[in-house]
Amino acid sequence: MSDLRVNLCGVELKNPVIPASGTFGFGREFNELYDISILGAVCTKGLTLEPRLGNPVPRIAESRGVILNAVGLQNPGVGHFIEHDLAWLKGKTRVIANVAGRETEEYGTICARLDELVDFVELNISCPNVKCGGMALGVRPENVENVTRIAKSALKRTPLLVKLSPNVENIAENARAAERGGADGISLVNTFTGMVIDIEKRRPLLANNTGGVSGAGIKPIAVRMVYEAAHAVSIPVVGMGGIVTAEDAIEFLMAGATAVEVGTQNFTDALACPKIIDGMEKWCDYHGVERISDLVGAVKMNG
Amino acid sequence: MRELTATVLENKKIAEEIFSLTFGAEEIPPVRAGQFAMVGVEGFPLRRPLAVCKAEGERVTVCYRLKGEGTRRLAARERGEKISVLLPLGNGFFVEEKEKRVALVGGGVGIFPLISVIREYVEKKEIYAYMGFRNKAALCMQYEMQRAKELVIATDDGSVGYRGTAVQALMENIDRVKPDVILSCGPTPMLRALKSAVAGRNIPTFVSLEERMGCGVGACLVCVCELTNGEHARVCKDGPVFGIGEVNL
Repeated sequence: MSDLRVNLCGVELKNPVIPASGTFGFGREFNELYDISILGAVCTKGLTLEPRLGNPVPRIAESRGVILNAVGLQNPGVGHFIEHDLAWLKGKTRVIANVAGRETEEYGTICARLDELVDFVELNISCPNVKCGGMALGVRPENVENVTRIAKSALKRTPLLVKLSPNVENIAENARAAERGGADGISLVNTFTGMVIDIEKRRPLLANNTGGVSGAGIKPIAVRMVYEAAHAVSIPVVGMGGIVTAEDAIEFLMAGATAVEVGTQNFTDALACPKIIDGMEKWCDYHGVERISDLVGAVKMNG
Repeated sequence: MRELTATVLENKKIAEEIFSLTFGAEEIPPVRAGQFAMVGVEGFPLRRPLAVCKAEGERVTVCYRLKGEGTRRLAARERGEKISVLLPLGNGFFVEEKEKRVALVGGGVGIFPLISVIREYVEKKEIYAYMGFRNKAALCMQYEMQRAKELVIATDDGSVGYRGTAVQALMENIDRVKPDVILSCGPTPMLRALKSAVAGRNIPTFVSLEERMGCGVGACLVCVCELTNGEHARVCKDGPVFGIGEVNL
């Protein structure tokens, strides 16, 4: 039996598999399908300071091998989460609170509310579906560094992950910017901005016109970006983007990720995360890998 | 609610552009009237939310209209093939003990969840069904609908039955039938027409809504509808059935 435990920013996870923000709520619904305490951690729906209603519907569309979403950060607000969901979720597994501010200062305010209460904060500076905050902050390296610094100064105890947008010129540069700002780790990739047109109506299918592209079709791009980012920084990386199987997850580990997040596949198969954990263990056993952490960054480049 | 790999038992065309898919699996949990299933389509990341029409032990039937590539692909699945299914989902229709006379108002693919109401309540309640179809070619499930105490089939062109909409058919009979509750599913314009037609009559009226969905279990907040109090509700988890006065249509 190989050891699936990984150490992420000094916090031990029982395995490297984490459902991605926005696909898993606060865990309660999926816990009706399986005991979510088997997960390495749960990454919450993006939390804002005040409750948000999000975008009009339709909020989801599909294209070959991918989906697009434009939920627009609907959530009950960070206070409601702390009061109603946090204790329950903490009783299950490690908690990563995904945080989205309207502007830079607000990230600090929300982080201050969560400090010491959660195991990690994941800074959402790359949501493509909201007008202010979100992606605007995640594109330019100087903005990434600045918002990271503000969030970090509000977090005395809780490690800070910064979730990077792939819609940027140079992912390595943004990874370094997060590290300079004091991030304890980075996670990537968030969704790619895309559009699907209903040709009968001659209108975009999503009410928001554009949405974030995720799912199996983005995986090779995500793996390349995780590789580039992981090799640009010395802090740990959480990799994601189109993971369907245990083998996909292992690919991200080899590219340099310490842990992985699984998003879209939770919609295709509600038992995706347990199956991936199971499959990773089997793969390691079969290949004689004693500790899964030995696979992190194990890829050797050609020539 | 359970994630299952089911076997296709039958997948056949039952009307123009309408297919009926029956699948079987061991350990299918009980499904109530008006609940739905997320049905996987190989090669497509999103599953299709389909109303359960019949559920008998280890066999479940869902019906769907050919709308795009995904449903065309689903229609090509043959007996013996495996499909991924998540069910039962949503709240479903409830008829209270004191409600004896139940009127059903269905339109298009919205008739299918109402078939499940007929099947669940036909022995216990008096069911009056007003079912709208585009035309004769779209008509299906007559055998199931005829189990209701009264059935009016309405078609837009009058090619079968009453010429007009299901809502008009209901309203022509409502004073005689005096339903204790009205249950409805169909296109949004039909639900809007129903809302204004029954306004002021004080008859509890429930509608089942359709929306594009992600997870189907209430986690992703993709399929929301707007409540009259300004809040959002999840169609998949808080619905799909809502009081007609509770939602903005």
